[in-house]
Amino acid sequence: MRVFEFDEDREKERYVEIMPVFFRVQHLILMITVGVLFLSGFTVLFHRTRASELLVAMEGGVEVRGLLHRSAAVVLLFLVLYHLYYILFSREGREEFQKLKLQKKDIADFIGVLRFSLRLSDVYPDLDRYSYKEKFQYWGVNTGLLIMILSGFILWFETASMLLFPKWVLDIVLIIHGYEGMIVFIILLFWHLYNVHCSPGNFPMNRVWITGKVDRELYSRDRRGYTGKK
Amino acid sequence: MSRTNVMVFVCSLIALLAAPPASAAGGDALKVSQCLSCHGKEGRETGARERGAPPIVDPGVLERSVHSGSRCASCHAGAAEIPHREKPGRVTCGSCHESAASSYQASIHGMDYLKGERDVPGCTTCHGKHDVLSVDDPRSVAFSLNIVDVCLGCHEDEQVEMEHALPGAEYFKAYRDSVHGMAVKRAGLNVAAVCPDCHGNHKILPADNPGSKVNRLQIPSDCGKCHPGIQKDYDESIHGKGLRAGIMDSPVCTDCHGEHTIVKVTDPSAKVYAKNIPRTCGSCHESEVISSRYALPKKRFSTYMDSFHGIALEFGMTKTANCASCHGYHLVLPSSDPKSQVNVNNIPTTCGQCHPKTSVNFARGKIHVEVSREGHKGVWMVRVFYTLFITALALLFILHIGFDLVQRKRDRKGKRAGSGEERG
Repeated sequence: MRVFEFDEDREKERYVEIMPVFFRVQHLILMITVGVLFLSGFTVLFHRTRASELLVAMEGGVEVRGLLHRSAAVVLLFLVLYHLYYILFSREGREEFQKLKLQKKDIADFIGVLRFSLRLSDVYPDLDRYSYKEKFQYWGVNTGLLIMILSGFILWFETASMLLFPKWVLDIVLIIHGYEGMIVFIILLFWHLYNVHCSPGNFPMNRVWITGKVDRELYSRDRRGYTGKK
Repeated sequence: MSRTNVMVFVCSLIALLAAPPASAAGGDALKVSQCLSCHGKEGRETGARERGAPPIVDPGVLERSVHSGSRCASCHAGAAEIPHREKPGRVTCGSCHESAASSYQASIHGMDYLKGERDVPGCTTCHGKHDVLSVDDPRSVAFSLNIVDVCLGCHEDEQVEMEHALPGAEYFKAYRDSVHGMAVKRAGLNVAAVCPDCHGNHKILPADNPGSKVNRLQIPSDCGKCHPGIQKDYDESIHGKGLRAGIMDSPVCTDCHGEHTIVKVTDPSAKVYAKNIPRTCGSCHESEVISSRYALPKKRFSTYMDSFHGIALEFGMTKTANCASCHGYHLVLPSSDPKSQVNVNNIPTTCGQCHPKTSVNFARGKIHVEVSREGHKGVWMVRVFYTLFITALALLFILHIGFDLVQRKRDRKGKRAGSGEERG
């Protein structure tokens, strides 16, 4: 008689996989490239700081910094292109993307959560597969990425850009690139860092990006409609 | 009668007999050999000088000098008669070398000497005594490759510097490591600038004296003696024009290159080394005082340092554009001048030195972007917008975190509210 038996059904019952493996790989690539882009980008944005000097030295000089920054950008660009292909041309992606569209319900959910927090209501809204928080981050980061990619290419090929735009436009593009990078950073710092690392119950981090699975019980609490559990 | 006196008497007697009687006027009629009967080495006992015997002279030294063939009394005026009526005084070179003497007397050394200072250099310090040689003779103390050690002999001495309230030994010593000092020491070049080339040989004066060769107004023509091509450019530049107009704030050679510390432009310690140029130019062009006084564009240094060129340079990429790449270095001209490299019509060409395919777009906008409403309205507006936006975003996030923490504490149908799985 075996002492422990892996029961697949019970496993399925207990956990729900919300991040299949290729999502996790994409998340990992995104994490690494954005990290490299932050480190190599902020050395230029905050070039007057001692930290930047150290970072440039660590990165192997200012020319290597640029090379690193652009290499990470190219990898990220491929990731974005793949994602676009996935939501446009694969059935699964198209279906998944439908769930990410912003709806009136998201605003209602947001207000509902606020009301609940302020004790104006005793009912916590019933969220979808992707809650308003997740949608906000998806669209926020995507808008940021789009601006970063466009402005980044203008700056990368400055000579070609200057055939089209006068110098003062590039000055604006440069400052947009810097501040938009900061916004993406702020979203990650205040939003992502709190939601998946620092919020009660998740510290030091939510392991979903490694395992892909979450506890069905916990997951269902705020998604009664979605998981079919009341 | 002491033995010495007897000897002097005897010698004088011999000299008198050997030579026709010497009058004061025809003093130099005395032959050298006559003088040597007393001043020669022959028959001298050791210690005779201490006992009052006359000084000994090696006639060969004089014969090898520029003064060979001269009679002793030509210089030693008091020694025209034998026996000497009184002890002959100091030799005055000025009786022949008038212009040198008057220059020396007008110099700081000569004036100090007249004041009674005795530790100042005189003719013999640089030219020697009986062994005076032409300054072009490599054996001469005053020869270009030897003179530096003579000057520094005193000016490297901290004691001398203190006593005369001079800048200090380090200031002078620096010359030895300068490009000029090295050319003398290492390459043995006799055309490299040595002390007298800049300071003058006889009429040396402190730089604040208008008659000094190293006075601000004289510097460009001073350096121009060896660097005439550069002087020509400088004279045409706005800096040269400014100096000629009497604007003392206008930079001269030494302001950018240093004085005793001049080194090659490729030397990282040079003020004109690529990485240091912005600070060198910025010392005036970032200065509120100078920019305001002469109605110049302000903040040229900080606006450059915030540009991509400035950042790259600061992080060690020396091939990037620095001030001189666009504005020129000796021939700096204001952008209003059609010949200027930064004139609006020439900017595409100037940028084209590094950037392939430049167009008129390079000149549309400011190169030195000052982020202000007047400086660059677009950038300023974008910055204001983002500053407000990021601040608002951060505040809302913090607020949201607060609400989230509050609601997680609330009970919801017997369960911990909102402690469910959240991503994002």
